[in-house]
Amino acid sequence: MTKILEVKHVTKTYPGVVALDDVSFDVEKGEILALIGENGAGKSTVIKSISGAINFDSGSIVIDGKEYQKLTPSMAREAGVGVVYQELNLVPSLSIMENIFLGEKIGPNPYCPQFDEMKRRSEEVMNTLGVKIDVKTQVQMLSTAQMQIVEIAKAVVQNCKVLIMDEPSASIPMAEVENMFEIVRKLKAKGVSVIYISHRLEELFELCDRVTVFRDGRFVVTRNVADITKQDLIKYMIGRELTEKFPVRNAKVSDTVLEVKDLCGNGDFHINLQLHRGEILGLAGLIGAGRTELAKMICGDVHPDSGEIIVNGKAMHAASCADAVERGIGLVPEDRKNEGVFLGYTIEWNIPVMSLRKISKFGFINFRKADELTSTYVRTLEIKTPSVKQEVKNLSGGNQQKVVVAKVLAADNEVLIFDEPTRGIDVGAKQEIYMLMNRLVEEGKSILMISSDMEELLGMSDRIVVLHEGKVSGELAKPQFSQAGVLELASGMKEERA
Amino acid sequence: MNKVIDFCRRNLAWVLLVLIMIVFGMTTNNFFTTANILNILNQNAYLIICTYGIALIMMSGGLDMAVGYQMSICGVLAALMLTKLGLPTPLVVIVTILISVAFGALGTLLEHLLQLPRIFVSIGLSTVYQGIAYVITNSKTISGLPDGFKEIGQGTILHPSLTYATLMMVIGGIIMSFIMDKTYFGRYVFALGGNEAAARLAGINVKRMKYAIGCIAGFFCGIGSVILTARVGAAAASTAAGTEITILTGVLVGGVSVRGGDGKIANCIAGVLIMGLLANGMQLAGLNTYYQYIAKGSIMLVVMWFDAFQMKRRALAANKRKES
Repeated sequence: MTKILEVKHVTKTYPGVVALDDVSFDVEKGEILALIGENGAGKSTVIKSISGAINFDSGSIVIDGKEYQKLTPSMAREAGVGVVYQELNLVPSLSIMENIFLGEKIGPNPYCPQFDEMKRRSEEVMNTLGVKIDVKTQVQMLSTAQMQIVEIAKAVVQNCKVLIMDEPSASIPMAEVENMFEIVRKLKAKGVSVIYISHRLEELFELCDRVTVFRDGRFVVTRNVADITKQDLIKYMIGRELTEKFPVRNAKVSDTVLEVKDLCGNGDFHINLQLHRGEILGLAGLIGAGRTELAKMICGDVHPDSGEIIVNGKAMHAASCADAVERGIGLVPEDRKNEGVFLGYTIEWNIPVMSLRKISKFGFINFRKADELTSTYVRTLEIKTPSVKQEVKNLSGGNQQKVVVAKVLAADNEVLIFDEPTRGIDVGAKQEIYMLMNRLVEEGKSILMISSDMEELLGMSDRIVVLHEGKVSGELAKPQFSQAGVLELASGMKEERA
Repeated sequence: MNKVIDFCRRNLAWVLLVLIMIVFGMTTNNFFTTANILNILNQNAYLIICTYGIALIMMSGGLDMAVGYQMSICGVLAALMLTKLGLPTPLVVIVTILISVAFGALGTLLEHLLQLPRIFVSIGLSTVYQGIAYVITNSKTISGLPDGFKEIGQGTILHPSLTYATLMMVIGGIIMSFIMDKTYFGRYVFALGGNEAAARLAGINVKRMKYAIGCIAGFFCGIGSVILTARVGAAAASTAAGTEITILTGVLVGGVSVRGGDGKIANCIAGVLIMGLLANGMQLAGLNTYYQYIAKGSIMLVVMWFDAFQMKRRALAANKRKES
């Protein structure tokens, strides 16, 4: 068999992080290659490198025999790379056929496309994919699964030789997945190669020929799907032993401070859980499992359809974040820059912002108290800065995160929700954040920690609750902690077996 | 030296204002007389009072283009209440201000109902206000206002050129500066302008804040329209048309970013005064209102360019500092 795509020694670094470390793998003509790995393993970075969305630092990519040291999106498209992203890129108000040929020239006049020709060719493509929808339908009338098909059709009319599909099954209902598989198989029969990215391991066995595993930005192994088991795959994905980088803490876990009862909302979402004083409860799950959504409901930013959130024995009908903060629930959001800090303002402005009302009299801020709060938290959280008058945007990621935590702590919050507390933070600062979290629970606060970092989850949590598609798929107590256990629950494998 | 440069940069509007005044003082006689300075302040008092509200909206990240006709319609309503209904002056003043507050709140209400930025809502409202103002006045000027009412805009105190309006402007400015600098309300306004999502998650009641801001803006706009109507002694639908551009440009000259989250009330005052002085100077040079539109629009574009340029430079500087 001939190789249609070769990735050769590709490296990509972001400040502080090596996203891809000397990665090499290849795709053969007419095969379906699965690409798997934990969150942050480098899968999306590698597909972005192949599709030209980012510039890799070194190495090269060979597409259909031609070697590229640098790729732009248009170069990649011309070379025959098509991508179906998780977030679909369609124009909702245009018809299917117009979307399929968006940006393409149909007929001699670029400003006046020949719609008959467009329709004929669209129908032709849809037929080869075995789909029967009127190509004049507006895209906004379609289901997500159908929109995905339009994306695939878009790639097909551009004569793509390698189609990259980023978690195509994540956004569509189970019943439609088989249908999508059928289309992918048809493409394969036509000689198109497919790189299929998925968290659902069982799918690979049904659809794919070979599987490539990534871990921590490195290539681990490529195997034929026929001679490998799920357990092997999980072992490859995890690979390493847990290193002892998590400080020991000595916190007393006592009564329940937060209880979530039958919380429902946003379609298929139903959660029960309890958080105790002095506890770090880890919340695991894949992207889209509903973890961030749960956090936003608890902190009052998203309204649940039904169910109760009980804080210290009192039901909270949180109308807004203001109410939640009033009850002592503080969120350290995942999106630090856009939701956590006020980047353009100084440290001394940011830290007291949540406590301003408490330290004001007749609306006037007591600036002495504000400065006290600032200096206390700059000192105890060891925020490294030449001055509290420094604008937060000039701080490193780790110190920005500390400012967010300081802001939440200064408001006397008892329950802290950390959404991806160490994302984008370098190793040293990570350690400091962990110690800080330990100190907080030792002081009797409670932490709900959402994390996609497996080590962090296992190292920091007292208990782990795993979500899968909006529901609790399992709970692990400390003695039962294992990466395989979490991964099984997160991918929904265990549920299916049971 | 660095301190001087830093001071100038932070108070750019005041520095510009002083420079312009010096130029005016050298080219015209009797510019630097108490009477003339007070006269300039008096001419711009209603604008500056309105500016307090608009600056508040802009600092919180919004933009309101309805002030002009909102002032017109309030002035017209006040005039009608005085002449047609014969209501007493104090009552008319209070009702006019309340109507303006309601208009301000209406802007926020629509902002929420339509889920649109204030600028779009206010452009729509502005056109509606314009239409109503013309309809209820029959496109005519309403004059013959009682002397007691005119006194509000023309009456003086202590000095023959120091009007009540100027005094109100100064007091309003002091109060607003205080609120912005010393109260949590002021901080919340900047929080909204700096990062609305973070403000919401930090437990700031964004909706309530926006209503408060809308109402305060309406309040100042109401006072402005009463003063304007009283000073002119008559009201027409076109009286305050175009003031929104003057105020907007003035606030931008005063260093408030179009993106919100920054600025000082005092600098906005200087910004609007600059606009007023330039208009005055152009008038003296024989350039009419239409030339002034060209000047105002150009200044606005230059200021926005400067704002964008500064933003980019600051972002670059931040990145560099982080790398090192």
